[in-house]
Amino acid sequence: MQAHHKLQAICPREYAEEFSRPVHKIGMITCGLAVLANLLPPAWLYLQYGVLPPSAAIAKGMGLALTYAVPFFIIEPIIYYPILGDAGTYMSFLTGNISNMRLPCAAVAQTVAGVKEGTREGELIATVGIALSIWLSIFAVLVGALATGWFVQFFSPWLQDAFKSYLLPATWGAVFGLFALRGLRYAPAALVLALSAILLKWPPSIAIPITVFGTIIFGRVIYNCSAGNARDTDRQGNASNLDKNGRE
Amino acid sequence: MDWKQIANAPWIWICGAVLAVIALYQCTAFSILAVKILKRHGLQKNDVLGILRGAAITSIGPVMVELFVMVALVVALSPGIAWQREGAAVGSVITELIQATNAAAGAGQELGGQNFDMNGFANVIFVMNVSCIGWMTAAGFFTRYLGKARQKVAGGDSLWLAALSVCATLGIFGYWASTNLAKGGGAMVAVVAGGILAAFFFKLADWAGKPRLKEWALGLAMFGGMFLGKLYAGWGG
Repeated sequence: MQAHHKLQAICPREYAEEFSRPVHKIGMITCGLAVLANLLPPAWLYLQYGVLPPSAAIAKGMGLALTYAVPFFIIEPIIYYPILGDAGTYMSFLTGNISNMRLPCAAVAQTVAGVKEGTREGELIATVGIALSIWLSIFAVLVGALATGWFVQFFSPWLQDAFKSYLLPATWGAVFGLFALRGLRYAPAALVLALSAILLKWPPSIAIPITVFGTIIFGRVIYNCSAGNARDTDRQGNASNLDKNGRE
Repeated sequence: MDWKQIANAPWIWICGAVLAVIALYQCTAFSILAVKILKRHGLQKNDVLGILRGAAITSIGPVMVELFVMVALVVALSPGIAWQREGAAVGSVITELIQATNAAAGAGQELGGQNFDMNGFANVIFVMNVSCIGWMTAAGFFTRYLGKARQKVAGGDSLWLAALSVCATLGIFGYWASTNLAKGGGAMVAVVAGGILAAFFFKLADWAGKPRLKEWALGLAMFGGMFLGKLYAGWGG
């Protein structure tokens, strides 16, 4: 599946004028429109059905939601930008599924075309790959939502109760289990903080920030200790070399 | 009025379509710009087809997993809401489930629970949609500054950035997992089974040399944990 022809290098000025500039313009406008489109459902719910949640519920719900989301607003664009580039960043943060779909599609497209990531040619190729993945996922979700909705009505009462009562708890456990593999030394702190808050009967609006930020702080301490140990080991290694050789 | 009567009504499907159209316009405009320059620099039709084929094949697995896991959102809320949140916007089913759960808790209710009513539903709609605006705002206004921002926030330490996001995820999922652990019975079994199965399938993928299995680990663990929790509850747990 390799490209048969080698791409010629693209000059920076041409790239800036014909790609970067319009990408930033379209990207900012479409992300702005998407922000408005996300305000549409609560507005429509109010205008058509007269339903608006109580302000206390909004404040608490948003507080909990943002406790989880705000670190990712800051971290994710920074982590993924070097791989996605400008166009990839706009597209990926508008549609999501970055690490499992957009990034792999960008990487495969670049491999097929025989270009390197981080180059102008690489970003252009990645743009095409990511764009196709967005077309596919949007239509698949549309068909999937329609089909699943129809399918679920045939479930037996036993199965419906299983989905209703136990799917979410299993989901929390499954995601926790997956991330525990990535951060085994941080996982116990998260459980201890959470269970303590629950046993002390603290409301979610207090318990969740304590658990999330407490785990981050604990993680930072562990991380610093590990980094410190690595530096000490390095220094000891260098010091023995000095003794052994009598020079640096 | 029961929230279920309006959760799948045309309004939410139209809202989803609006977001989808914006996303499709953006990605199409970008790819037209990209292909125009690439063709001038040697890209041939066969090359474009090869790229599209590679991207399509790569997307199949993640799309199927997303549909599998999306059942949770369809059952908890409605197909229309699953479409509106998963088509474009955040895209991640798990993030949406967490935010819906947080929103219900904000209204003093449990998502899908006996006490979940129109207030809880309205709060879910509000919070799910408004809370994800941060991602679009970050991309929309700060993409051009991201190179410099990376250095400042990480202090040059990309490993800590990655660890921070793991800690934040463990924190939030640890909390909601723990609320179900504290309930005991089938809910506790579902949490524990889900966690063990997810770790098992993920590791199995490495042992068996089948990396694609990792994509399915979460979905298989979710449904496995669900069935084990229900079976335990059915036997008097």
